[in-house]
Amino acid sequence: MNISIILEHFYLVFMSVLFSVVVGLPLGVLAYLNQTLQKIVLWVVEILQTIPALALLGLIMIIFGAGKLTVIIGLVLYSLLPIVHNTFIGLENVDSGIKEAGKGMGLTKYDRLISVEIPLAFPMIFTGIRIATVTTIGVAVFATSVGGGGLGSIINQGIRTQNMELIIFGTLALMIMAIFFDMLMIWVNGRLVKRSSN
Amino acid sequence: MIRFENVRKKYGDTVILDNLSFNIEPGEFVVLIGPSGCGKTTTLKSINRLITPDQGKIFIDGQDISEVNPVKLRRKIGYVIQQIGLFPNMTIEQNIGIVPKRLKYSKSKIKEITRELMEMVDMSFEDYAHKYPSELSGGQQQRIGVLRALAASPPIVLMDEPFGALDPLTRSTLQDEIVKLHKKLKKTIVFVTHDMNEALDLADKIIFMEKGEIVQMATPDEMLAHPASALIRDFMRKSSSSADSSDLTAADFMKTKFFSVYKKRSIRECTDLMARQHIDSLLIKNDDNTYAGIVTIRAIKKHGKSSGSIGDITPHVNITSNISENAKESFDKLYATDDNYVVVLEDDNTIAGIITKTGMATAMADTLWGDMQ
Amino acid sequence: MSFFNTYGERLIDAIQIHLFYVLSSVFIGFVIALILGIILSRIPRYANIIMPLLSIFQTIPGIVFIGVLFLYLGMIPATVIIALAVYAIFPVLKNTYTGLMDVKPEYIEAAKGCGMSPIQTLLEVELPLATPSIITGLRMSTIYTVSWSVLAAMIGLGGLGEFIYIGIASNNNALILLGAIPAALMAIVLSLLIDGLRRLIVPKGLRSLK
Ligand SMILES: Nc1ncnc2c1ncn2[C@@H]1O[C@H](COP(=O)(O)OP(=O)(O)OP(=O)(O)O)[C@@H](O)[C@H]1O
Ligand SMILES: [Mg+2]
Repeated sequence: MNISIILEHFYLVFMSVLFSVVVGLPLGVLAYLNQTLQKIVLWVVEILQTIPALALLGLIMIIFGAGKLTVIIGLVLYSLLPIVHNTFIGLENVDSGIKEAGKGMGLTKYDRLISVEIPLAFPMIFTGIRIATVTTIGVAVFATSVGGGGLGSIINQGIRTQNMELIIFGTLALMIMAIFFDMLMIWVNGRLVKRSSN
Repeated sequence: MIRFENVRKKYGDTVILDNLSFNIEPGEFVVLIGPSGCGKTTTLKSINRLITPDQGKIFIDGQDISEVNPVKLRRKIGYVIQQIGLFPNMTIEQNIGIVPKRLKYSKSKIKEITRELMEMVDMSFEDYAHKYPSELSGGQQQRIGVLRALAASPPIVLMDEPFGALDPLTRSTLQDEIVKLHKKLKKTIVFVTHDMNEALDLADKIIFMEKGEIVQMATPDEMLAHPASALIRDFMRKSSSSADSSDLTAADFMKTKFFSVYKKRSIRECTDLMARQHIDSLLIKNDDNTYAGIVTIRAIKKHGKSSGSIGDITPHVNITSNISENAKESFDKLYATDDNYVVVLEDDNTIAGIITKTGMATAMADTLWGDMQ
Repeated sequence: MSFFNTYGERLIDAIQIHLFYVLSSVFIGFVIALILGIILSRIPRYANIIMPLLSIFQTIPGIVFIGVLFLYLGMIPATVIIALAVYAIFPVLKNTYTGLMDVKPEYIEAAKGCGMSPIQTLLEVELPLATPSIITGLRMSTIYTVSWSVLAAMIGLGGLGEFIYIGIASNNNALILLGAIPAALMAIVLSLLIDGLRRLIVPKGLRSLK
């Protein structure tokens, strides 16, 4: 039963980060390409993260009802900031000489973005995804409050029943998950950087 | 004034300073020179105790500095670091006033000092005192870095490659200024460089170091006449040509790295180029590559618009020399006008290079050395 | 109307309590973090071990801090404030430390060369140069704390979380909104205030650098 709760937590995090990338990456690119949209996009994702997580989940629950869908939507909104932000910054920071070289070779804006700029910005983007993943693992403890399950339910139950073992089990599982993904993704990023610098 | 007695410094097993002993008289301008990593900076920093030697003693005015409180010691020694290091959170005035403030000078006194110093380097107090370092050009920042070291009128000033990152024009201006300051303020100056021409221009005495040891300590004339090692000779020969001075031509002294643009280039592009290269003028070419004149940043400012092409601005007719002209004639021209350099032209009026004032100084030092051979 | 008659007073109370939790815990956390950050920056060799350990500690969710402290201290405001303060420490500490470590050595050397004592160097050069980073940390801490303060209601200690918890439990949308909107506004207003503070105290010469 405990294993299934860990898996449930992981499922929530995985789906959220996945959709967050699907939504956040294009938004970051958009912010990079379009000066007017840039301000709005960066501002909105920042505001989203200032809303207390539980409140955000509660608000979404009003529309989508209690359950996993609400949790995933909430966590996606919550983890957009690092992904959008890092995509934008990563693209901005691509060496201007390289951008110019791309132009000089007659690549179109779109070509340059796909074949030069995004690949070069990818380590930065990936760092954004890593931050989003680790944050989401923590924030997902609120899922249980809107009927989404996950490790939050064990911790809540532990607190309610004053069961220290349950609290410690939930917390440790959470910490290990966070640290594991953090290290794994740092390692992957290191490989990515090494490969691209060869 | 400053005396080193058998000073040694090691990092791990590497000997950085190897039994250094020398003496610097009050009011002397001493230049430390030598290949990269020979220990110049280390020597300089041991004078104000940023580095502590492992062995040996350093005396200032007869006092062993290891017995002086480092903070007090440093307030009596001006220090210009290689990377300028102006505090970005402080205005120019605050930067210059940093030591006087600690020595409890009155506010009005500090202001007066700042104003005087800034005037000495042709920067108006009104225009610049309240700016921040990031708002100044590299050359202006280096000037302020030097002024900060001078503000509390310390008897000793240490300068670590203070003009390292400058273009030749600004560099020679600042060299002139430092010589003026030295004459006027009568400080003892220890100056690090790896540019022999700079050393020859500035020094009363040159200390040539190699691998933590002094190879030769001599006046510029002496060093020119009798370089003590092949390496020193090499250092001096680097930019010299061995030909006899009377048949040296403009071609022998011109810099072939210069920035020229066609008239049709946009003004915006030109100002970008100037900003990137830290230069204040561009050579203008006609479509057939012939020389048309120069445009200075001042002329662009006066023109007022950044749209349009550079050809819209009437170029300034700078002095020119033919490439085969005698070098001395080119120098005389440069002396006689306000222009900052001579444009050297090929026979078909295309641009071959420019001769700057530093180029000229180099030439003179080299020729002198050549003569003594 | 009757909705506000019923909840108006309780809402004002809740906002005050929430704000009190946030301000006191951020204040305490900030002071501790600043001091720790300065100390760690003086001993970088140990900091290289301590910082990663702290970041592991940071993965413990706030809910656990509050829950465990609740078991030991009981239902008193100190439980919430201590838990939130502990949580507020890390972003400020991390940013203070990296801000100080990122000060270029040339400025420190120049400061020494000008005869500044270590304390003067810290106060007049290093800390001013690190302020942009420190304030970014303060902003993060504040936003997180507004968010985690919602948990006070979990152990019956009021604040805006009360409306949210009751609303979720009783499926009362209006109550959820009544808690969520002021909480979100509080986070936004506080972060705007901190942006204002940044404009006031980040040294002018650093702004054009960015
Ligand atoms: N903190 C240090 N630890 C180990 N080695 C050092 C340290 N500082 C300097 N060195 C070494 O000491 C030697 C002398 O350094 P120093 O900075 O005095 O050289 P320099 O003559 O000023 O060179 P440059 O012209 O490149 O500035 C160099 O080989 C350098 O690598
Ligand atoms: Mg050096």
